[in-house]
Formats: sequence, structure tokens, C-alpha cells
Amino acid sequence: MKRLCASLLVGSIALAAFCSTAVAETIKVGVIATFSGPNAIWGKQFQEAIQVYVAQHGKEVAGNTVEFVYKDVGGPNPDASKAAAQELLIREGVKYLAGFDFTPNALAVAPLITQAKVPAVIFNSATSAINKQSEFFVRTSFTLWQVTVPAAHWAASNGAKKIVTAVSDYNPGVDAENAFVSAFEEKGGTVVEKIRMPLQTTDFAPFLQRIKSSGADTVFAFLPAGPATFAFTKAYNENGLKQAGINFIGTGETDESTLDALGDQAIGLTTAQHYSAVHDSELNKAFRAKHAEMFPKSTLNPASVGAYDGVHLIYKLIEAAGTDGSEAIEAAKGLSWESPRGPVSIDPASRHVIQNVYIRRVERDGSRLVNREFDVIESVPDLGFSR
Amino acid sequence: MSANSTIAAARPQIRGAATFLPPIILLAGAFVAFWLFPYDLGFMTRILIMMVFVLSFDLILGYAGIATLGHAAMYGCGAYAAGLFAIHVSADPLLGLAIGAAAGALIALVSGLLLMRAHGLSLLMLSIAVTMVLQETASKARGITGGADGLTGISMGPVLGIFEFDFIGKTAFWYAFCVLFVILLVLRVVVASPFGLALRGIKDSPSRMRAIGTPLYRRKVAAYVLGGAIAGIAGALTAQITSLVSIEAFNFALSAEVMVMLVLGGAGRLYGALIGTLVFMTVHHIAAGIDPFNWLFVIGFMVLAVVFFLPEGLISLPKRLMRLD
Amino acid sequence: MTVALSIVVDGIAYGMILFMISIGLSVTMGLMRIVNLAHGGFALLGGACAHVLTNSYGIPFIPALLVSVMAVVVLALPLERLVYRHIYRFSELEQVLATIGIVFIMIASVNLFLGSTLLPIRMPPVVSSPVDLGFKVLPLHRIIVILAGLAVVTALYLLVERTRFGIYLRASVDNQATAASLGIDTPKVYLAAFALGAALAAFGGILGAELLPIEAYYPLRYMVLFLIVVAVGGMGSIIGSFVAALSLGILDTAGRYLLPDIGTIFFFLAITAVLALRPNGLLVKSS
Repeated sequence: MKRLCASLLVGSIALAAFCSTAVAETIKVGVIATFSGPNAIWGKQFQEAIQVYVAQHGKEVAGNTVEFVYKDVGGPNPDASKAAAQELLIREGVKYLAGFDFTPNALAVAPLITQAKVPAVIFNSATSAINKQSEFFVRTSFTLWQVTVPAAHWAASNGAKKIVTAVSDYNPGVDAENAFVSAFEEKGGTVVEKIRMPLQTTDFAPFLQRIKSSGADTVFAFLPAGPATFAFTKAYNENGLKQAGINFIGTGETDESTLDALGDQAIGLTTAQHYSAVHDSELNKAFRAKHAEMFPKSTLNPASVGAYDGVHLIYKLIEAAGTDGSEAIEAAKGLSWESPRGPVSIDPASRHVIQNVYIRRVERDGSRLVNREFDVIESVPDLGFSR
Repeated sequence: MSANSTIAAARPQIRGAATFLPPIILLAGAFVAFWLFPYDLGFMTRILIMMVFVLSFDLILGYAGIATLGHAAMYGCGAYAAGLFAIHVSADPLLGLAIGAAAGALIALVSGLLLMRAHGLSLLMLSIAVTMVLQETASKARGITGGADGLTGISMGPVLGIFEFDFIGKTAFWYAFCVLFVILLVLRVVVASPFGLALRGIKDSPSRMRAIGTPLYRRKVAAYVLGGAIAGIAGALTAQITSLVSIEAFNFALSAEVMVMLVLGGAGRLYGALIGTLVFMTVHHIAAGIDPFNWLFVIGFMVLAVVFFLPEGLISLPKRLMRLD
Repeated sequence: MTVALSIVVDGIAYGMILFMISIGLSVTMGLMRIVNLAHGGFALLGGACAHVLTNSYGIPFIPALLVSVMAVVVLALPLERLVYRHIYRFSELEQVLATIGIVFIMIASVNLFLGSTLLPIRMPPVVSSPVDLGFKVLPLHRIIVILAGLAVVTALYLLVERTRFGIYLRASVDNQATAASLGIDTPKVYLAAFALGAALAAFGGILGAELLPIEAYYPLRYMVLFLIVVAVGGMGSIIGSFVAALSLGILDTAGRYLLPDIGTIFFFLAITAVLALRPNGLLVKSS
């Protein structure tokens, strides 16, 4: 009797396992991002990139249909992010989570995904430490250390001797400052002054005065995209820093979503980033063409490629592991593919994307401003993970 | 408003059903919601916490007539205090609530001593300034608070040593509900007490209250501290249930939203605070789910409609329907 | 010495922008006594209009500025007749709620048509060129704003204190019934004052956009800033707002020069001190 029961049990498990791989099912992916409020641009960029990827590659993966469920959290709001994740995991039964624009929103779901063994693919949040909070985080965007260290190295080997850093006074800014200063000093450069500017401010005249009188030949800046960047780059020109011969180097300040708003004064700004909308490759051209066809009024930016590659990764994981989260994470480690940004792979140690970092300069291209790549630092991992 | 308060003052004579019915409805509502929406426990828990927060503001604005735009100060302090307490001292949730209440009360006392001397626009601005200073301090004290990334590493023990926080959020839901229920009962006693009546008197006619010898300033500070303690509890609940505190807890938008929810439901009525919170958050949730890009239209028109057609708040809707005007 | 001079010059330039973006609120909230949280909404609508005109239609800045201000006035007139007229009678709290509702709808409208990203207003390139004052380099834009601010404060002062309209307005706000019985057409006076407030909001928003760029959430993002200027200036005082804006500009700038690490904390602590000592505004002695 016992034996019969046991064999029945084994049989039914085998059947269940058979069903879950062979019979087509709908696999849901929950996307948690900001679709409303002042930061709605994140959710919009994510959603567009997802739709472009699906339009190019179809909804079917290994016989399963992939469906995306979107949840708005309205900005940096960990409470809403956690509740959204709970709802997605329990009601919708999602097998993968994705999205995550702000760091606290990603951190808030860490205990949940560990418990549920559901992989969460981060499309943006750039704090290195996130991936330490759960084994189930994988990231397809960038980290501040990953793009800032190459910026410092490039500046050091291209004539910068004395640097002043000017960053917004919040965690990402401080992260960027630490990364830049340590990398620049390593290369023998001098950091003459470290300036931290209040996050809310848009009047930068006092800080530019300090930059000017610091005697530096280059300023490294880090500010959140939006009004702060707008006002800073304006002030950089208006206060005569350009004329005084102080070069600008940054990272995400010339994001495509605000680049046209900066206007012609942005021309010549040099930044280090992992993706430019005009990256010269066949794959990126196809991505851009499809995106322009589907969303003619919109533009691609690093958030777009983070989401595009994130979906690609999720498709690959479904192919490899179906709905088994732990297996999927193992499959993600070491995975490599050709992305619109260039060759990428997932570092098995940090579960973060290894990628090229490009040095770009803002140029005018017809009616638009673009980040034109002119130099590259190849295969950069997340340099902040081990710190 | 003054007509309302005389009705409420005369209420002790007609106790009975009116006293017990609302808490019973609330309890029944929680059971029905728990049973009907088992997948939305996370969201419903957020509503419950927000109800605690809006109730605390009702005591200050609705009863004592103190209009501030910095109520998040106490909420944020309660959240950080409870979070840090859980990380460094004890993972017991109820002790954490007490710490959150103490932190909220303390910051309310310190700032209230100054704020309660001010009126009108300068009171609004002072309360905003206090919150801004706290937010900036939390942002700068990265070593302690985690700064803009948020305070992580909070891991709570079981409630009363028995109920573990579970994945689905059942414990969190009932925990938040019990806290709300107790606070509601306490506030019912408070607003019917001589202290509560004195607060209404201060709001409706301060000069008369001064004439009969009520120490206005001390009463207002006391109300502010009590409201602060409850706001601190709301903050502590968030910290414990989300296991993360971010500097957004001090947001100006949060203070403003709390005021909108309260006035929407009906300031000066405890159940008005509950209804306003429920309606605002539910409408927001549903509208944002349907069209995240344009839900603000819905909220905007709803707020305008209430202020124009139901100036005493949503809670006056049944009465208005009854009178058919 | 050079630092002190820099603080004063940069502070005045920044303070004048604060004055320009909040002067409309000084009129509606300070003079007309409505808690008008929708003030930034009018600046947003003006700025969005100027953005569309200069960017999409290539209209030069000055005509675009004038058209945008006119457009906001044209919108404000029916809004006053249909909505705001009722709001005047509300309690302060209801005014808060009503004007928040209005500003939500304004934000949602701009968001619907133009999205939530920055809405730059194209200006002639010469405006952003640096001007060397001998001791300091200042963008031409700031000099224009300083001149415009001086012009606006003079004109408003004369309008409120020296003209019949000013007398009517002050009389209507102080006691509407008495003013009406004296033959003052109070609804018309309110309408004109409201339109003036909206026009100034749009004008200030567009001129200040170089520093506080226009985007859909502009009215909420800078609401605290507008309110601070009016609170420190004191209700009902144009000159008070002017002095407050310049003082706050210098104060904030001084904080950034001298205490950059705790600039924001310093600024709000200073405001707390000012409001604690002078609860009715900088120029009004507490009774």
C-alpha cells in the first residue's frame, strides 16, 4: 500500500514536471517602475523598449507565451514597491520581476525575491550594493563605479592633471565622487577640490565660482538628470568656464531624454556611459528603427537599453530554466550576448553586466543632439561590487 | 463646522448603538476585505498605515485646528527610530512601535514649542522647514540612515512572540489593523474627554477659551505631541512592514497628501479621516492601474468635486443624500 | 572681500529670480488673500506655451513671451468667473484643497500633451553669453532678470499704492460689502487682480525658466519656494516680497559659498529663525 502510494506520488510529480516543461503556459513577468509623477520617464522608456523587443522577437519562448504586467510605484517609494511585488507574486503568479528605477525600490523587494526564489532583473538602479542583498538580483544596466572609473582613467590619460569634482550631495553623487577620486589618484592625477552641492538646488553660480578659482583643468560632475543637470550645464557655459579652459567630464548628464532640452550649449560635453542612442552597430540601428516606427515622438536612452537587454535576458532564462527561479539564476551567470550597446555578459560573481564603456561627445546631428562615441574602454565589470 | 461640534458635544447623551456601531463596521470591513481581496493584502496594509497617519493629523488639524504642512516630520522620525531600534537593539515589533511613538512625540514636542506660537502661513512654512531640515539631515547621515538608498537590514521578530511576518502579508495586515483599531478607540476617548472638548473650543473660538482660563498654548502643544506620537507609530509600522526606510518618509508631498485625504474625508471627524484615506488611496490605485500616465486628472476632479459639492467631506455624503439637497 | 562681493551679486541675481517666480503669488495670495496653490500652474501653462511657440514654431522669444502671457490671461478670465469666484468664499483649508485640485488638472493636462520631461524655452544665444562686470562674470540673462524685476516691482508698487485700481483692490479685500456699497464693482476688481496675478505668474515662470526649468511637475516641485517668499515677505506686501526674495537669495547664496556642506539645512534653519521672530513677515513687526 505504502509502495503504491509512493509510486503514485512519484508518478504524479513526474507528470507535473512533464506538464510544466512540455505544455505551453503563460509566463508572466512583473515590471515595477515609475509610470506617474515627475519621474514617469523611467516607466515610459522601459515599457517602450519592452514592446520593441517583443515586436522584434515575438511573445513565444520555448513554447511558452510571455506576458508583461506593469505596476506603477510613482517614484522612489519602497512601501509601494514592496506591496506591488507582493501583489505580482501572489495574485499574478509572476515568475520573473523586472524594472526598478530607484535603488530603494529594488532594495525593498530583496527579502521577497529571496523567499520566493524569483529572479528580479534590474533595468536601471545603479548602486553596486543592491546585488549583495539577494542572490536573485541580476542587473542589465550599469553601476556608478562601472562608468565613473573609466571616465577618470580616460581623463587622466588625455591630459587632465588637476581635477575638481562637483557632485550632488546624495548617495549616487558620493558614490561617483569616491569612484572618480580613487581612480584618478591611482593614475597619478591630483584632485584639488571635492565639492558637494545640495540635491534640490538649481542655482549653481556659487559652485561654479569655486570650480573656476580652484585652478583645476577639468571638472568631473555628477547630477541627477532633469532640472539640476539642465541648470548646471547652462551655468557651466554662462559663467565662462568653457572660455576659461576648464573641461567637463561626466557620466549620465547628457541622457538622451533631456539632451535636446539642454540645447546647443551642451555641444562638446564629454561623458562616459555604456550606451548612446547612436551607437554604431547593425543591432542598434534595427533597435532604433523599430523604436522610431512604434514611438515616433520618443527617443532611446540608457534606460531603454537596460530594459531591452533585460527582456532579452529573461527570454534566455525562460529558454534555459522555464519557471524555476534558482535554475534561472544559475543559467544567467556567465551568459553573454550581443546587445545594441555592444558585446555584454553577466559576471557570475556580481550578477551584473560586463560591458564596454564609451567616451562620447555631444554633437549636433541634423535637428537632434547626439552623444557621439569616439573612444572605448572594453569589458568593464562592476568595479564597485568588491568595495 | 461649528454646528458639527455642538452636535458632537451633545452626543454623550445618545450613546448606545452610535458608539458601538462604527467600530463593529470597521472590524467587519476588515474581515470582508481580508476575505474578498486576499491578493491585495500588501496594498490594504498600506491603506491601514496611512489611516493611522491621517487620524493623527485629524487630531491636530480637524480637532485642534492647527494647520501644518509638515506632518511627515513625525512619521519619518518614527520610521527611522523604529528601523534603527530593530537593527541595533531588539526585533520585537511592539517595542519598536513604542520607540516610534516616543520619537514622534519627542520631535513634536521640540518643534511644537516653537510651532504652536505661530499661525496661518508662517505656521505652514515653519512646519515645512522643520521637515526639510530633518530630511536633509537623514540624507547626510549616510553612515546611520543609509541616506538616499534607504535604511536596510531591518528584520522583525514575530508579533507578541507568536505571529511571524509571512510572505503573503497576513500578519502585517492584522498587525496594522489592530494598531489602527486601538488608536481609533483611544482617540475616541480623547476627543470626548475634557481635553478633546478644549481642543474643539480652541479651534472654534480661541478668545472664549482664553477667557475661561484655558492655557491655549499648552493644550496645543499637548495635542501636537499626541498627534506626533501617533504619526510616529504610523512611521514605525511602515518601517517594520516594508523592512526599509527611505528619506521619502519626510517628503513634502506626503504631508500635502495627508492633508488632502483628511479634508476629502471630512476634517474633525475620526471616521472622516478613515473614509478620506480609503477613497483617496483606492481611487489612486485603480486610476493609476488603468492609466498610470493620466490618473492625476481623476484625483484632481475628485478633489474639486468634493470641495465644491461636499464641503464637509465625503463623510457628510449620507446626510446630504438623506436631505436630498 | 571678493567672496562677500560674489555673495551679494550672485545672491541678488538669484533673489531676483525668486521674486519673479513668486510675484504672481504675492498678488493672489498676498493681496487677494486666497491660498492659491495653483500659482505655479499658471507659470507652468505660460512656460509650456512659450516652449511650444519657440521650439515647435520657431517664433522668436519676445513675441512668444507676450503671446504666452496673453494666453494665460485669456485662460485665467473664464477660470476666475467659473471657479475661483466661489473659492474666495471658502475657508482656508477648502481653498488649499480646491487649488490643489486645479493644479493637479493643470499638471495632468501638460503631461498629457507634452510629457513629463523638461520643456526648454529657446532664447537668443546672446542671452546666455557671459558678461564681464570687471569684478565678476555674470550671464546676460541674470542682468535682464534683474532689470525686469526692478521694473515689475516699481510698476506694481505704483499700481497698488498710487492708482484708483489699487485703492479699489485694497478696499475690496478689506471689506467687500462696504466696498460694494461705495459703488466699487468688486467682482470686476477681483477679476482684474486675478488676471494680473496669473499674468505675472506666467511672465515670471518664463523669465525664470533658465534657472528653474519648466516641466509638468513645476508647480509642485517649487511650491515650497514660492510660499517661502510670500511668507517671509508678509501677506499683502509687494515691497515685502521684494525684500524677502532678495534676502532669501543672498542668504541661500551665502550658505552655498560659506557652508556648502550644510547649505540646505542652514537655509531652512534661517527661515525658521526669521519666521519665529517675525511671524507676520520680514517688514511687519509682530504685535
